[in-house]
Amino acid sequence: MASKEVVASGVDASGGIWGGGVRPFGVPSKKLGMWLFVISDALTFSVVIFAYGYLRLAAADWPRPFLFVPSIVNASVMTFVLMTSSVTMVYAVRSAQLGLRKASVWWLCATVLCGVIFDVLHLREWAGLIKEGVRPLQNPWGTPMFGSAFFSLTGLHMLHVTIGIIYLLAVAAMFGSSKATADDVEVSGLYWHFVDLVWMFIFPLVYLLSAHR
Amino acid sequence: MSSQAIARNIIFTVWGSLLAMTAVEVFLAYENLALKLMFSLLIGISVLKASLIVAYFMHLRYERRGMIWTLVPAFVFVLIMMFGIFPDSLRLFHMRVPGH
Amino acid sequence: MSDGVTPVVHHAHAPTSFIRRYVFSLDHKVIGQQYYMLALFSVFIGMLLSWLVRIHLVWAKFPIPLISHLSPNGAPGGVITPEYYLSLLTLHGTLMVFFVLTTAPQSGFGNYILPIQIGAEDMAFPTLNMLSFWTTFVALVVLVSTFFVKDGPPISGWTAYPPLSAIGGDAGPGLSLGQDLWAISIALFCIGSLMGALNFIVTTLDMRCRGMLLSRMPLSTWGWLITAVLALLSFAVLFAACILLILDRNAGTSFFIPGGLIVSEKIQPHSGGSPLLWQHLFWFFGHPEVYIAIVPGWGIISQILPVFARKPILGYKVILGCLGSIAGLSFMVWGHHMFVSGMSPYSGFLFSVPTLIITLPATIMTLLWLGTVWGGKLRLTTSMLFALAFISVFVTGGLGGMFLAQPSLDIYLHATYFVVGHFHMVMGVAAIFAMLAGTYFWYPKMFGRMLNETLGKIHFWITFVGVYAIFMPMHFLGLAGNVRRYSEFTDDFLQPLIPVHKFITVCALAVGATQFIFLFNVFWSMLKGEKAPDNPWDATSLEWSIPSPPPFDNFDGKHPVVYRGPNEYGTPSGEKDFEMQATPPAEIQRRTI
Repeated sequence: MASKEVVASGVDASGGIWGGGVRPFGVPSKKLGMWLFVISDALTFSVVIFAYGYLRLAAADWPRPFLFVPSIVNASVMTFVLMTSSVTMVYAVRSAQLGLRKASVWWLCATVLCGVIFDVLHLREWAGLIKEGVRPLQNPWGTPMFGSAFFSLTGLHMLHVTIGIIYLLAVAAMFGSSKATADDVEVSGLYWHFVDLVWMFIFPLVYLLSAHR
Repeated sequence: MSSQAIARNIIFTVWGSLLAMTAVEVFLAYENLALKLMFSLLIGISVLKASLIVAYFMHLRYERRGMIWTLVPAFVFVLIMMFGIFPDSLRLFHMRVPGH
Repeated sequence: MSDGVTPVVHHAHAPTSFIRRYVFSLDHKVIGQQYYMLALFSVFIGMLLSWLVRIHLVWAKFPIPLISHLSPNGAPGGVITPEYYLSLLTLHGTLMVFFVLTTAPQSGFGNYILPIQIGAEDMAFPTLNMLSFWTTFVALVVLVSTFFVKDGPPISGWTAYPPLSAIGGDAGPGLSLGQDLWAISIALFCIGSLMGALNFIVTTLDMRCRGMLLSRMPLSTWGWLITAVLALLSFAVLFAACILLILDRNAGTSFFIPGGLIVSEKIQPHSGGSPLLWQHLFWFFGHPEVYIAIVPGWGIISQILPVFARKPILGYKVILGCLGSIAGLSFMVWGHHMFVSGMSPYSGFLFSVPTLIITLPATIMTLLWLGTVWGGKLRLTTSMLFALAFISVFVTGGLGGMFLAQPSLDIYLHATYFVVGHFHMVMGVAAIFAMLAGTYFWYPKMFGRMLNETLGKIHFWITFVGVYAIFMPMHFLGLAGNVRRYSEFTDDFLQPLIPVHKFITVCALAVGATQFIFLFNVFWSMLKGEKAPDNPWDATSLEWSIPSPPPFDNFDGKHPVVYRGPNEYGTPSGEKDFEMQATPPAEIQRRTI
């Protein structure tokens, strides 16, 4: 059997960061893991967006019901809120990396607050549309698919925001009590930015392309 | 620490750009453009916004090249392949019975 | 504490409680065995279903005992109704494709062997690993529960095409609760697979030991890595499709259901959707899925052939290139499952060309395997017999694919037994043979005992001859126009083909019965098999440098260092004709002086 100690002269020095015994990307494994999750979840969202696109292209009379006030303004405010939450998240990660634990927790809470505002505005909008008669399979304005696509896509996104809120609260609590590291904050930041990123596509494709002109 | 903390001026520059691009998108929505052109412009701007978020907020620009090459091309490739479903959607549009 | 550079070592202690050791274990070896047993359970249920299907096709009036208790509506008096036939077929397909071919090759063997082959103590995320198994387990329970709900399992096939699958109970038996449970089961399965895929990729990139360059990884490890990438990208798509299906069925949406449908004399309220959308989304996943089923097998075969030919694999880098190009091409060909859906001939052409191109790397790999074996000092163990037979059945099945890849031929052959013969040959036989070769190969390592070689050879020969007897005739049935998914053959032109079906059924029952020899061998040898040495096959990769079975943390607290690739076979070195990956050069020098 091979001798137990490492025979230094025989170790292959070639290969560098790909030579084994070291992480080739130089990031903690859970960060790489979160990136891979983001890729797969991005694909899931892409499929729903593609399905929306497929059905819209094939539809004869897609409605354009979103008046500037209140719908587009509301959606723009929601976009602003989410983008701001991304900034507060970046600050949370930055503070964590600089060792400023309390500051980081506050920034995380600010991010959560923005997320909650987003959800509240969104739910208000949903309530308004439902009152006007928009359902998954009917609406007063055009092809019944409009409701299906709208509620499914925005619903899936809202679910991700809500899960993110819970996730960030957990990270804030654990980082605050030193049970989590700055790496954990960074990993949660990746998820949150991803949620923001998806909205960057939903806003123009769902709201702006159905703006009432 | 696993990565350098991001500089504050970069944060604000990116945020400002995102806001500006959003404003452009809202403005474009009310211009009288052909649907295909409007769609392409909106998607293009969204891709730009997404790229800024990925590169700076998610720090990918500063990661090792191997990681960028591992993550980005596969995703972009699959996304491009998905466009293959659209010919059938256009076919359906043209096949619609008038009035339905 | 990680600085993101040096890999973290799991300073875990071996668990002591029964629950932590065997149920909610974090150990990749236990989880791999759990997946394997799940697959073994599923394959026997799936096989039983295939027996019921085959018996019904040729002896429809023969009352099958006990089945009327399972489903009084579906099989009154033991005679299967046409709808129940479709239910059985649906579950057969779903179980086999998902719970056998997507679990055992990747999550079963991969979980067990991959960390050891790269010199790691465990996967990168052991808790995630455990969660992925139990999610898959719950998915299986949900799927099997469809047998016991009112109306039984869905009748829409493993492909669940809408509108049949999306409308609900109006469309037929099993399509209310049964179809909902199916969709939930598959959605859960997607989640389990995605978690596993993520784990495999991070583990293979981050947890390799020193000296384990990517170019020194065994080809089986490469197979699992590439499969994980395919799974990460394709299961995300299926998951979305399942969500949309569940919404269509329960939330009143209509992604897949067109307007104006009257089903069972009821006007369906849905409108605006497109059944073709489901087909696109499903097959966009479905084609990479079949490669997920076979790529681990290709890796395992590339690993096994050199061991028993005592020759290095021919063209290691070329095989890698083939695996990679097939993985990429697999995302470009999904339309070949939809040639008859009315697509434009130009679209058909655009799907057909990459499908035909895929045959090139597959052929190159086959020739490289043959070249590996040519001139080798063959050791014909059962594992090697299955590996050689793999090449045979893979070529046979693959050739059928060349016919189906051409739209002009596929228009005739689509939904005939030609397709059934083709995919069973590549998935149901070739992929399974790779699993069997892997089982006979790694069983000594996993259980510390040798499988009985005599029983193994009996198992092999009857199975090998038998699968040709079952699936070759199906190609001819298809050419004769025999349509698939029919529960009875009442047309005039099908009557002369019924004797062929009888022959197939008898062979299927015989081959199926033979698998019990294998099952007996697996469990009996665990207790009574001959004790296995560390390296019974004189193989080079890292799993053969540790005891059989391995200690809790694989390498007993040490960190292996790798000095060479896994291909040092036929290299004279003292008395041995091989060199293991982790043997230090100094020891080789001492030995050869």
